[in-house]
Amino acid sequence: MSQNGSTIAVTIDNRSFDVTKGITILQAAEQNDVYIPTLCAHGDLSPHGGCRMCIVEVEGMRNLPTACTTPVENGMIIRTHTAQLQTMRMEILQLFMSEHTSSCLICDEKVECKRFMVTVRKASVTTGCRYCPNDGQCEFQDVAEKLGVTEIKYPIYYRGMRVETDDPFYDRDYNLCILCGRCVRMCQEVRIANVLAFKNRGRQTMVGPAYGRTHFEAGCEFCGACVSVCPTGTLREKTRAWEGKPDREEVTTCSFCGVGCQVRLLVKGNRIIGSLPADDSLVNEGQLCVKGRFCGTELANGPLRLKNPYRVEGETKAEISWETAISLAADKLSSCAPGDFGMLISPNCCNEDLYVAQKFVRVAMRSHRIDTSARFFYGSGLNAYTNLLTMSVPLSALQKASTILCVGLDSRFARSVVGVALRRASKRGAKIITIHPRHHNLAMIADKWLQPLPGEETGLLESLAKLTADARETNETRARSQSTDANHDQDLASIADLLRHAEAPVILVGSEFLQYDTSASILDAIARIAQNIKAGVLPLPSHNNFHGSIVMGAYSELLPGGLARAKGAQLPLQWGVEPPADNSCWSAASLSDKERMKTLYLIGEIPYSWEPNADFLIFQNIYPPDGFCHADLVLPAAAFAEVDGSFINGEGRTQLVRKAVDAPGGALPDWQILCRIAQKMGLSGFDFSSVESIREEISQVAKNLGRFTEITREPIPLPFAGERFVIKPKSAVDSRRSEDYPYLLTISAVEHSHRGFPLSNWVEGSKMLLTEGVLEINPEDAKKAGIARGDEVVVTSVHFEKVLPARLVREQSPGTLHASLREYTYFNPNPQPVRIRRQECSG
Amino acid sequence: MSDNTYNDIFSAFRGDEGDLIAILLRIQEKFGYISEDAVKHTAQFLRLSENQIYGVASFYSKFRFTEPGTTSIKVCMGTACHVHGGKFLADAVSWKLGVSIGQVTGDRRFDFQRVNCLGCCALAPVVKINDRVHARMMVTGLEEILSRRE
Ligand code: SF4
Ligand code: SF4
Ligand code: SF4
Ligand code: FES
Ligand code: FES
Repeated sequence: MSQNGSTIAVTIDNRSFDVTKGITILQAAEQNDVYIPTLCAHGDLSPHGGCRMCIVEVEGMRNLPTACTTPVENGMIIRTHTAQLQTMRMEILQLFMSEHTSSCLICDEKVECKRFMVTVRKASVTTGCRYCPNDGQCEFQDVAEKLGVTEIKYPIYYRGMRVETDDPFYDRDYNLCILCGRCVRMCQEVRIANVLAFKNRGRQTMVGPAYGRTHFEAGCEFCGACVSVCPTGTLREKTRAWEGKPDREEVTTCSFCGVGCQVRLLVKGNRIIGSLPADDSLVNEGQLCVKGRFCGTELANGPLRLKNPYRVEGETKAEISWETAISLAADKLSSCAPGDFGMLISPNCCNEDLYVAQKFVRVAMRSHRIDTSARFFYGSGLNAYTNLLTMSVPLSALQKASTILCVGLDSRFARSVVGVALRRASKRGAKIITIHPRHHNLAMIADKWLQPLPGEETGLLESLAKLTADARETNETRARSQSTDANHDQDLASIADLLRHAEAPVILVGSEFLQYDTSASILDAIARIAQNIKAGVLPLPSHNNFHGSIVMGAYSELLPGGLARAKGAQLPLQWGVEPPADNSCWSAASLSDKERMKTLYLIGEIPYSWEPNADFLIFQNIYPPDGFCHADLVLPAAAFAEVDGSFINGEGRTQLVRKAVDAPGGALPDWQILCRIAQKMGLSGFDFSSVESIREEISQVAKNLGRFTEITREPIPLPFAGERFVIKPKSAVDSRRSEDYPYLLTISAVEHSHRGFPLSNWVEGSKMLLTEGVLEINPEDAKKAGIARGDEVVVTSVHFEKVLPARLVREQSPGTLHASLREYTYFNPNPQPVRIRRQECSG
Repeated sequence: MSDNTYNDIFSAFRGDEGDLIAILLRIQEKFGYISEDAVKHTAQFLRLSENQIYGVASFYSKFRFTEPGTTSIKVCMGTACHVHGGKFLADAVSWKLGVSIGQVTGDRRFDFQRVNCLGCCALAPVVKINDRVHARMMVTGLEEILSRRE
């Protein structure tokens, strides 16, 4: 019967099949549509053989093997549904049920309950259904039903454990756990995060982190992968409880960072009820980080979402119609001279929005005054960072690299999918070197962690650049001649050797140093190291569409295609307009110098660091301004899940954004609002009917991009290196410590923001994970200053004074402090010498 | 417990995953229990997570995670001792010291454990106090021993 070398013949339930050699009985059955009940088996995980639901009879085998762990053999005769098997399975299931609060599965009310609650899994030891997450995906229930279990004959032994609700995003009720180990295998095998383990034994066996730690304390990344595979209601999403099954799914691109993961948005009615990783082999390979997995849903559904335009006059807010709002905006903008106008648009917006916005500024406002917050975020390193984007390699490069250098990267919460790829690389033997001044999750897997003090990182990277430059001299001698710290130099020399001899090395660039005053030289040194060792560089931009903002020309210096005006690029002929009267370059940085504008137009941007100085401020966003400034006209925009469009990720991949639901109330996509205003101003060239028509124009206007009519997801690095942006050089400042200011404070931008807002504004769970406005301090330093955890600390420098709560971090270098702030641009220079004292409570 | 003590222990190992149990045994020998600090150091040495190590260690009843009390009391609850009233002895200890099985008294002087057979069933019921096995123990006798030690 056997066909050839790769297939073998088996008989399952009296039917013969040819199946691939080496697969398990379970896989053979599944491939041929034979149902075998399972609980612990899962397609993405290694076989476990723990639940014994999948027992089968195999002729010639004495006992009943588990189908999920037994490989098929030629000529095997397998029976999956004999009376004996069914009885045994029912027994096993009842044993499970006797230990787990699942009497609901056999409850009399089951039929009714199911009709109204979608799933009957709940702890009916209590009369209410408050334990039932009602998400309609209980495999335990399915199996119970298929086997027809309607009563439990064993004594009931429930464990009565407290439901664990202390962690954000998901709860855990281990009373419902059947110890199938799927979550453990997911966390250990796939994510390699190793947060979950089986602990204790016998009846006390439980799943969880060490001691009684919370997931947060145990290093969990809140990727939610364990929640997705749990076959019972043990692990459940806080916000998805009671939502039931989704009606449909929409695959789109995550909009929370430049990795650009593919996500499946779960839609019920006109609501996003959750998001899961898409099965995508190019970018995220079925993984997501906490932002893509959990934050999007809450962000999209917030009750405070803007629904209708409103006007603010004095103290009063008055809702107005779109008609009125558009007229008002058109009026104000028509009467505004090109030099009195400015627009800030978020690099979180789609390419299509960015294109229309810059066209609007140039055609309707006759100006080049458009900018994004990336200008502040990258500061003096803006050119150097975009230069790295021209060298970018695909994420898949991590699979081949023998050495990976990570600079300023922390992948615990942001970009955790890259962290997974790194841990996989480390597992297969790749060397991981990480350069980071603070505690970060890569320290766990790194072969070497270089921890430069603030101010030292440029020197460190430059030495590495020198050491990797020239292979002839032995590195040891060179290093010794350069500095005095012998140990450190040894390290550097051996790292340089490792890098020089690495196969297909990759350099990953995170965000840690980007707000430093010296970021330009740090990033330049990275570029040089990359050239020296022929490494691929993978900058992981914080803003999901930073690349897009450049090639769409959303900056004063650049036109569509990313072409520099300074190098002679002209307005596209297709627009049919004269070049703007005001030809100067403008940077939003001048806003903080209290430049007064007549009209300032903010699209998805919020300058937290200063009060915008404008006669008329148009605020277009998905949430209302959170009290940072006075907006005169507020326009409701549609959010990521409510628009069609495209983003370009850090690898240079153009990826589609797909509309999953309608925007709340009257909210409109950014490009539509702009087009309506332009049309009201009497302009032609803004009659786009869809994002496709915008993409068509982009293809014609920016021929060098040549990929906008058909989006292929091909990674294309940013075209051409060189100075793109005009950057005001930083005046050299003295950032050395002194007796009066004995600590060095570094400030980072709040990275987890979307359309200007820190996620923690609108996503409850992210408050705990993605902290901002906290002073990180070494415990020894804290002790010296009489500061305990949570104390309010007054931080004083020559330039400012600020009060921040303290967090003690063992890994923080002594003498240094750190804080992530939304108003980060205000704190110059960075790093900055400061002194600290505990704030005394008054009154 | 300085880093050096740990490094001494670790120096005998290569740092493979398979060294875990042996390392834990050495740590327990040295300190009497596996502290959180020890788990942390071992995690760093073996490049495992603390969660994995705790998971493995807690599977074996041999390992303990709390600092032992000065006087260790082990009441046997094996079959023979159970039949001969081991349970009463355990209850007596509980009453007397105000702790239950697996706990240490607040002053850290007594440490109360149960064992499943000490291998001298003929002498049942037995109680082991520190290294000494007390045979054919009775509640009154046990109370007297404990009073003497208090
Ligand atoms: S959320 Fe992710 S990291 Fe955390 S326990 Fe689950 S699988 Fe592990
Ligand atoms: S929590 Fe869920 S996935 Fe994990 S062992 Fe229990 S039932 Fe299985
Ligand atoms: S890594 Fe970035 S793109 Fe991926 S899910 Fe997280 S935020 Fe979204
Ligand atoms: S599915 Fe095979 S043993 Fe659980
Ligand atoms: S049962 Fe107690 S010593 Fe054997």
